[in-house]
Amino acid sequence: MNYYIKSSWAQVQAELLRTFRNRRFIFFSILMPAAFFFLFTAVVGGSDVPSYWSAYYLMSMTSYGVVGASLVTFSQRISKERSAGWIRLLRLSPLPSGSYVLSKIAAQGAINLILILTMFLLGRVGKSVHLSWSIWLEAGLWIWVGGFAFMALGLFLGSMKNSDVVQMISMALYMSLSIVGGLWMPLSSLPSVLQNIAKFTPTYRMGEGPWALVEGRALDWTGIAILSMYIILFMVLSSYIMKRQEAI
Amino acid sequence: MMSSLAIQMQGVTKIFKGKKAVDNLDLKIERGSVTALLGPNGAGKTTIISMMLGLMNPTSGNIRLLGGDPRTRAIRGRIGAMLQDTSVIDNLKVGETINLFRSYYTQPLALEQLLLLSGLKEEQGIMASALSGGQQRRLGFALAMAGNPEILFLDEPTVGMDVRSRILFWDTVEGMASRGKTVLLTTHHLEEADQVAGRIVVVQQGQCIADGTPSSIKALASGRTISFTVGEEVTEEQLQGVPGISGIEWKGRRARLYSSDTDLLMRTLIEYSIPMQDIEIQSGGLNEAFQRLLQQDYKGIM
Repeated sequence: MNYYIKSSWAQVQAELLRTFRNRRFIFFSILMPAAFFFLFTAVVGGSDVPSYWSAYYLMSMTSYGVVGASLVTFSQRISKERSAGWIRLLRLSPLPSGSYVLSKIAAQGAINLILILTMFLLGRVGKSVHLSWSIWLEAGLWIWVGGFAFMALGLFLGSMKNSDVVQMISMALYMSLSIVGGLWMPLSSLPSVLQNIAKFTPTYRMGEGPWALVEGRALDWTGIAILSMYIILFMVLSSYIMKRQEAI
Repeated sequence: MMSSLAIQMQGVTKIFKGKKAVDNLDLKIERGSVTALLGPNGAGKTTIISMMLGLMNPTSGNIRLLGGDPRTRAIRGRIGAMLQDTSVIDNLKVGETINLFRSYYTQPLALEQLLLLSGLKEEQGIMASALSGGQQRRLGFALAMAGNPEILFLDEPTVGMDVRSRILFWDTVEGMASRGKTVLLTTHHLEEADQVAGRIVVVQQGQCIADGTPSSIKALASGRTISFTVGEEVTEEQLQGVPGISGIEWKGRRARLYSSDTDLLMRTLIEYSIPMQDIEIQSGGLNEAFQRLLQQDYKGIM
């Protein structure tokens, strides 16, 4: 048992170190969402903006950062490790085969938690966003759970060997899903066609819960159900592909 | 039960898309030996190693490592490998990368020892991705050694290494052998195989075409040759009837005879009154001899 804890912990530690040393991660998941948050809460103002706009946009940008970390950073790292032969090397070590993926997910879960806390702290201190403890907690938890859907999607993309293609696809998905899902601009400002499409995106479902919370509306649990379906779908797809790649 | 064999392959065949990469191979490697799989690129060496390591499943046949199945964790904990086309992971320092790999084993070698073995002591604190190609190969060696393996697999280990790295590397491998480790390496340089291995297995087109000590492989291959232009009246059968010839190559009317004793063969040829012109006696260099070994086999297949 001790062996499993020791090797998994070493794996998680290495993942954390590598992520926080990654400039791309720092830029896309921390600097960019933070800058957008301060910019759009300063620029968009006036009487027609609701009082909860800062809190609303804080939730959008926190989700945006978590999506980037789980989708872009995560998928590219896995794909690079595959093309670098690292995964093959792990396969002939005594490390149990599930440990690699599980440690990665655990580490990414911790990273997403740190991202959420950082953004919430920035909003609270930098923009005096005031919310009750229960709303902070529920909103943070919702975004955190949603992060796993994007991790699963990242895992699926990461199973592709060509890391250049993965980089392109994950970036394109990141940007388009963020825009269509209403993370950049509120959904109500998008054309109605896009608004209908948005209902099916995991990004919209990720923001939906926290937005309802800060607006004082009741939570719609279908959002979590849809996110869970995405998690299961991409996990099944990626584990199927990985199994197929192993069996040569 | 302790098996005295480190590696055992029985009737192993691997078919890729209808093409036989490895063809009914039998191979036994003793514990504590250093063996080189020698063959040109595409001979099937990497496929053989991949199957030994359990990274590929054979189409048919049986493979045992240390008496067990290479795909089990118990066996994986006792082997180490340096594979081709493996580079490092990003954003991790040399020492951190080694420590990460050490954590996978229950009885790893100390970090200090691994740095010493791979000659990366000074590079410990720099990012692994900033290492030169040769240094990255040495890091790969440190990772292969992390679990203090009983069998070490080295697939074309010195590709990309500079001369200094190469010398250091072979010294280390020799040290391993002297401590009773089993080493299996692949190479396409006969000199390299000759230098470190106690046994050379020559592989071509997925088959073992020669197997023995370096000196026996060289003797097999480095016999001298007599070449001459033969008179029209001599047939191939006539030449083949001459004793002491191990092989004949024809180029038009010019024949090249392979023999382990060319002095004796020369006298025999004269005794048999074979009409010869422009006689040349040559001794093949190592690589030339190796080429010939492979060419002969190629002809056998045609």
